[in-house]
Amino acid sequence: MEVNNHNSSKGKVIASGIIPFAFVILMMVYIFGPGADLLDFGTPLPEVTIEKVDFIGSEIHATVRNTGPIPVEVVMADINDRIQPAAVEPDRFLERFETTLVRIPFEWNEAEPYIIGITIEDGTRFEKEVESAAPALEPSLDLAIFFAIIGTYVGIIPVMIGLLWLPFIKKISKQKFHFFLALTAGLLLFLAIDSIEEAIEVSDESLAGSFNGSLLVATVTILSFLGLYYSGNKLVERASSSKLAKPVAIALMISIGIGLHNFGEGLAIGAAVGLGSVAFSTFLIVGFALHNTTEGIAIAAPMSRGKLMIGKLAAMGMIAGAPAIFGAWIGGFSYSPFTSVIFLSIGAGAIFQVIVVIMKWIRDEGDHNLSSASVASGFAVGMLVMYLTSILV
Amino acid sequence: MKSNRSSVMILLLSLFIGFSVIALFPTFSNAQSESKTFVTHSGSVIKTSGEIIDPVYTTTVPEYTESTIEFDPMEYLREFNYGNVSTLPDGSALREFTIIADDDQIMEVSPGIFFNVWTFNGTVPGPTIRATEGDTVRIKFINNGSKEHTMHFHGIHPAEMDGVFEIVGSGGGQFIYEFEAGPVGVHPYHCHVMPLEEHIVRGLYGVFIVDPKEERPPADEMVMVLNGLDMDFDGENNFYAANTIPFYYQHHPIQINTNELIRVYVVNMVEFDPINNLHLHGNLYNYYPTGTDIVPSAYTDMITLSQTERGIMEFEYDYPGKYLFHAHKVEFSEKGWVGVFLVNDNQDENIQDSDYGS
Repeated sequence: MEVNNHNSSKGKVIASGIIPFAFVILMMVYIFGPGADLLDFGTPLPEVTIEKVDFIGSEIHATVRNTGPIPVEVVMADINDRIQPAAVEPDRFLERFETTLVRIPFEWNEAEPYIIGITIEDGTRFEKEVESAAPALEPSLDLAIFFAIIGTYVGIIPVMIGLLWLPFIKKISKQKFHFFLALTAGLLLFLAIDSIEEAIEVSDESLAGSFNGSLLVATVTILSFLGLYYSGNKLVERASSSKLAKPVAIALMISIGIGLHNFGEGLAIGAAVGLGSVAFSTFLIVGFALHNTTEGIAIAAPMSRGKLMIGKLAAMGMIAGAPAIFGAWIGGFSYSPFTSVIFLSIGAGAIFQVIVVIMKWIRDEGDHNLSSASVASGFAVGMLVMYLTSILV
Repeated sequence: MKSNRSSVMILLLSLFIGFSVIALFPTFSNAQSESKTFVTHSGSVIKTSGEIIDPVYTTTVPEYTESTIEFDPMEYLREFNYGNVSTLPDGSALREFTIIADDDQIMEVSPGIFFNVWTFNGTVPGPTIRATEGDTVRIKFINNGSKEHTMHFHGIHPAEMDGVFEIVGSGGGQFIYEFEAGPVGVHPYHCHVMPLEEHIVRGLYGVFIVDPKEERPPADEMVMVLNGLDMDFDGENNFYAANTIPFYYQHHPIQINTNELIRVYVVNMVEFDPINNLHLHGNLYNYYPTGTDIVPSAYTDMITLSQTERGIMEFEYDYPGKYLFHAHKVEFSEKGWVGVFLVNDNQDENIQDSDYGS
C-alpha cells in the first residue's frame, strides 16, 4: 500500500508539472489551426534591416535581413534615393531573419556620405546612412599587421605600462592599498558602463527592433556575469587549496574581464576603420593608450599582495591586452553588429563580476568596512580618471 | 560533483553563445550556379549568380499574380475615346461615355512592386476623353468603390456639373455629368472628394481633350500624363513617370518617323512636388499652353509645369535615331520619368493617316 501511495503521489507531481505545458501546446495548436481566424485582424507590417554596407570596387554591397514578422521580397535598390539596377544574391525572397546580399553597381567616391535604400514588394523603402564611404578592407598581411600594431598600442603596451605601478603599490600601507583596490573597482565600473553604452549604441544603429537590442545587452551581460561569477568562485576555492594564491586568482579574473572588454574595444576599432567612420589619428591612439594604462593598475593592485611573479604578471598583461588585436582583426575583416553587441555585453558582465570580487576582497581584508575614506575616495578617483582619459578618445 | 556542474554550466553558456553567433551571423545559402548579367546606368556589364532587380531594363514583368490591372502604357499613349456619338435634334453631336470608379485594385506599378490604385475604368490614368468644341458630353458615372468619388472636369460648365458638391456615394452610386465641350484645349479631369490629395495621387485622374471645330493639322498624336506615386505614404513621391509606369518608355521606346508632325498632349498631375518639366533631346517643340490658342507661346526644348498645368507640344525630327525625353528635374528622371523616342527614317514622304477626329 505504502509503495503504491508513494508511486501515485510521484505520478501526481509529474502530471501537475506536465498539465500546464499540455495546455500551452493545446492553445498554440488551436491558435495556429482552427482558431487562426479569431486572431486574423490587423496587418502585420513587413520590415527589413540593412545591417551592413560595404564599398567594393565599383559596387556598393548591402547585407539585408528580414527583421519583420512576414516574408518579404526585395524588389528595388537605390543610392541617395535614386533608383539603381542591382543584383540580389542568392535571391530576392527573404523568409523571417533570412539575409541576402544586394549588389548595387555605383561609382562611389571615397569619404562621401551615402544613403542606401531597399524597396520591398509593397513599395515600402528602408534605408541606411553611411557617413563616409571607405573601400572594404581586403584581408591582407599588411592590414593584419596594421591591426596588430594598433591592437598592441591600444591593448598590450598600455596594460604593461600600468603593471609597472606594481612596485609602488607593494610599498604602500594597507589603507593606501585599499584605496588602489577601490580605484581599480572604480575604473572597472566605468569600463562596464562604457561597454554597455557602446553595445546599446551598436544595437540601436544596426540591429533591427526585433532583436530587442537593450534587452539582448542586459541578458547577455547578466548571463556572462553569472557564468563567470560561478566559475570564478570555483577558481578561488581551488586556488586556496593549491599553490595558486588568492591574489593571483583575482588578478587572473580581472585580466580575463579586461581582456573581454578589450576584445570588444578592438572590434569597435577594427569596425570603425573598416566602415571608414574613423580617421585613425595618432592622437586617438594616444587617447586609447592613456585610457587603457589604468587597466594595468587594476591587475597590478591585487598582485601586489603576493610574491613578485614577473612571468605570471606578463602573462596576465597579455590576457588583458592581446584580445584587442584579435578584436581588431575580426572587427575589421568580418564585422557583424550582432557579434559586436554580444562581445561588448559579455565584457560588461565579466567586469561586473570582477568588481564584485574586488569589493568582497576589500570587505574581507578591511574589517568588513566598505565605507572607509580610502575606499570611497579610491572608487571616486577611479571613475574620474577614466572619465577624464575618455575625453581624449 | 561540483566541478562537474560548473563545467556543465560553462559548456552550456559557451554553447548558447556559439549557437547564437552562428545562427545570426550573416549567412548566405549556396549561390546558384547559373549566372546572369545586366547593364548598369554607366554601361558596365555586371554578372551575378543571384537575381536581377532592375526597374530600368526589365522588359518583361514575370508574374501578374497579385495584380488585378493590366495596363499597357504604349496602348494608352495613342488611345482616344470619342464616346458613343449620336446627333441631337439641333444637329450637334452628343458623345456618351460610361466611367466607373473603383478603389480596390492592385497594380504592379514597377516590376515586383504592388500598389493599391484608385481607378477610372480600371486604369491610371483613366481613359482619355475626346470631343470637339460645342459637342454635348454626357458621362454616366458609376462609383463602384468603397469610398465616395466624383468627376471634376477642368473647363467651362454649369456649377452643378463641377463634381465638387455633388458627392457620389460608394457601392454603385451614380451621376450623369452633361455639359458642352469647351474651351478648346487639353484639360485634366479628376475626382474632387476630400481628402483631395489622396484621391488624386491614388490615380483618379485622366485627360479631357477638346478639339477645335476646324481640325488641327494631321499628326501622330499622343497623350502623356506626368504623374508620381507615393508608395509609402510619406508625402513624397517614390516614382515619377510619363503614364504611370516608371522607366517604361525608356526600355520600350516610342516609335515615330522623321518629317512627321508629332503632337503630344501633356498634362502634369504630379502632387507633392511643386513643379515638373519636360525636356526633349535633339529637337525643340512649339508649345501651346493649355492648348487654347493656335499660336504657340514658345519654341523651346524645356517647359516647366505646375500642378494640372498642361499644354500641347508639336515637333518633327529631321534625323533618325534614339532621342531621350525626360524631366530636367533629374531626380524625377532617375525615379522613372524618362523615355525614348525612336525616330525611324521615313522613306515614304506621305504622312501616314492618323485616326484623328474620327
